Amino acid sequence: MSASRFAPAALSAPAVLALGVALLLPLGGIALLSFQGFDFDKGIIPRWDLANYASLATDSLFLEALARTFRIAVIVTVICLAIGVPEAWIIHRMAPRWRGLMLLVVVGPLLVSVVVRTFGWMVLLGGNGLINQGLRALGVPGAPFRMMFTEFAIILGLVHVMVPLVVLAVWASLGRLDPALARAAESLGAGRLTAFRRVVLPNIMPGILAGALMVFCLSASAFATPAMLGGRRLKVVSSMTYTEFLNTLNWPLGAAIAVLLLLAILAVTLLWTRLVERRALRRLGVG
Amino acid sequence: MATASTSDFLVLDGVAKSYGPVQAVHDVSVRVAQGEFLGLLGPSGCGKTTTLQMIAGFEAPSAGQILLEGRALAGIPASKRNIGLVFQSYALFPHMTVAENVAFGLEMRRVPKPERQARVARALDLVHLTHLADRFPRQMSGGQQQRVALARALVIEPRLLLLDEPLSNLDAKLREEMQVELREVQRRVGVTTILVTHDQQEAMALCDRVAVMQGGRIVQIDAPWRAYDAPADPFVADFLGRSNRLLAKLDGGAAEAAGHRFPLPAPLAALRGEVALAIRPERLRILPAGQPGLPGMVHSRVFLGGFWLVRVETPCGDMLVTVQNTGTPPAEEGAAVALDWDAHSLRRLEAVA
Repeated sequence: MSASRFAPAALSAPAVLALGVALLLPLGGIALLSFQGFDFDKGIIPRWDLANYASLATDSLFLEALARTFRIAVIVTVICLAIGVPEAWIIHRMAPRWRGLMLLVVVGPLLVSVVVRTFGWMVLLGGNGLINQGLRALGVPGAPFRMMFTEFAIILGLVHVMVPLVVLAVWASLGRLDPALARAAESLGAGRLTAFRRVVLPNIMPGILAGALMVFCLSASAFATPAMLGGRRLKVVSSMTYTEFLNTLNWPLGAAIAVLLLLAILAVTLLWTRLVERRALRRLGVG
Repeated sequence: MATASTSDFLVLDGVAKSYGPVQAVHDVSVRVAQGEFLGLLGPSGCGKTTTLQMIAGFEAPSAGQILLEGRALAGIPASKRNIGLVFQSYALFPHMTVAENVAFGLEMRRVPKPERQARVARALDLVHLTHLADRFPRQMSGGQQQRVALARALVIEPRLLLLDEPLSNLDAKLREEMQVELREVQRRVGVTTILVTHDQQEAMALCDRVAVMQGGRIVQIDAPWRAYDAPADPFVADFLGRSNRLLAKLDGGAAEAAGHRFPLPAPLAALRGEVALAIRPERLRILPAGQPGLPGMVHSRVFLGGFWLVRVETPCGDMLVTVQNTGTPPAEEGAAVALDWDAHSLRRLEAVA
């Protein structure tokens, strides 16, 4: 009798414990750290105030990095959707024997380590890289172009690894879709594109929105790709955090930056689910 | 050239479909008259759905051609054929209300809004769903969804209506009601209709003619009652209703099975030797033992409301007999009986074992 009352708590205990110890504890530590002071000679000064946040609010470098972070995340998300959604639809309509192979190709970038993948882009994009060599050989005016250490390079690198996430999220939605829907639309006079836009697209919205959110969050908090392709001067918030922690050794300021990034991403996520996702899902009767 | 007589409204001429080495449909030829209700009937994998998909324009025939009103359909995409389709899953658009679902085809045809609304209202009225116009499909029962699907297919005033197992997702009682309604709506609208089904009862109830398919071919095409009464082969005999098989020795005019001699109908009078005969369960009569007839014993009896289904063991194998429920139950299980029938109820099965 009484055992069954505690069973849910007992069963979820390991997960709660792991989550608590591995995530909430360090996160709380970071949050506490962000209120403390720092001196180059004395190190961390134990005090409790919002000085770090106040200084960040007026720090043009930080604000610039924050704006860049979100600009990149939004652009990456939009491009990933533009590529990933049609890609998933096309693969979905392929013959079954091609589908598995194509999915494997799509997921490919996820199977390669981020450092290796990013070095690959550096080889391609460098001033003397493969792309510029090719352009020069073709006699394209203006070549070589500066591509490394630009936002373009960061976006390219992120899109490359994020597209599979959209494809997989949309793929799951497509699997739940009645395959007769598109045919019904076509039999009623809709061309293939119209059938996709008017009938398929609204019904795979949950997958698209989930994919978009995943890509946005991962892009906004990405570290390795922006750090390697953006270089030392083109900072995003996560690479700025890294610098404060490991170069300047100003841990409290780094912690404050990390907390702000976390809050910003959390705010966007909440707004997104509240405003966009809920409306889309209500129409489908899911939410 | 484009004028076709009304009896050649839809023509399938030697239509075949193969997927690699697999031949799904072989040489199907059929002529459908304007306003006719034709059933494509057969077990799963017999090619009936593939045939429907080719007419709808979702599959291209590997050979042969399909003509609608005298014009070849090859190369015309599904969206330009003006053929209404009702799917087994109904395929209603989940994110649209009933009215929006029905209006979709008119929207695609750029019908102006006032006319669109009037036509949607008329189509919903036809299927008695006017009061549910603002519901979403998920808020409706299977029968209601099925009627929305029908209204959506009919509102575009299609040249041809294709029904793909439209009633198979409904429970038995609702299915019977929908059969009546479907037939009524089809008659009123007068649209030429092709029904694909594996349910022989459904095909017989709805169709002017049924084409029984097996292994990608049409085995027999006839009015349902005629195909039932004179099946072209054992497959049709077995697929359309139930049939008993009776192996008998024929010696000109009469036959003998398990010591029982019985007369033959005129068409079978000339046959001699061992012949497999077929007889429907409702054509058999159960008599008390000792009376002239095929001797047997009641193995089981099942009460089905309107009639009893009795299985009788005889020296020639088990025979199924349906007995009208007249208020008194038929012979009990284990009782010795004799089976009798009229000579004209006997048919010859083509392929004799």
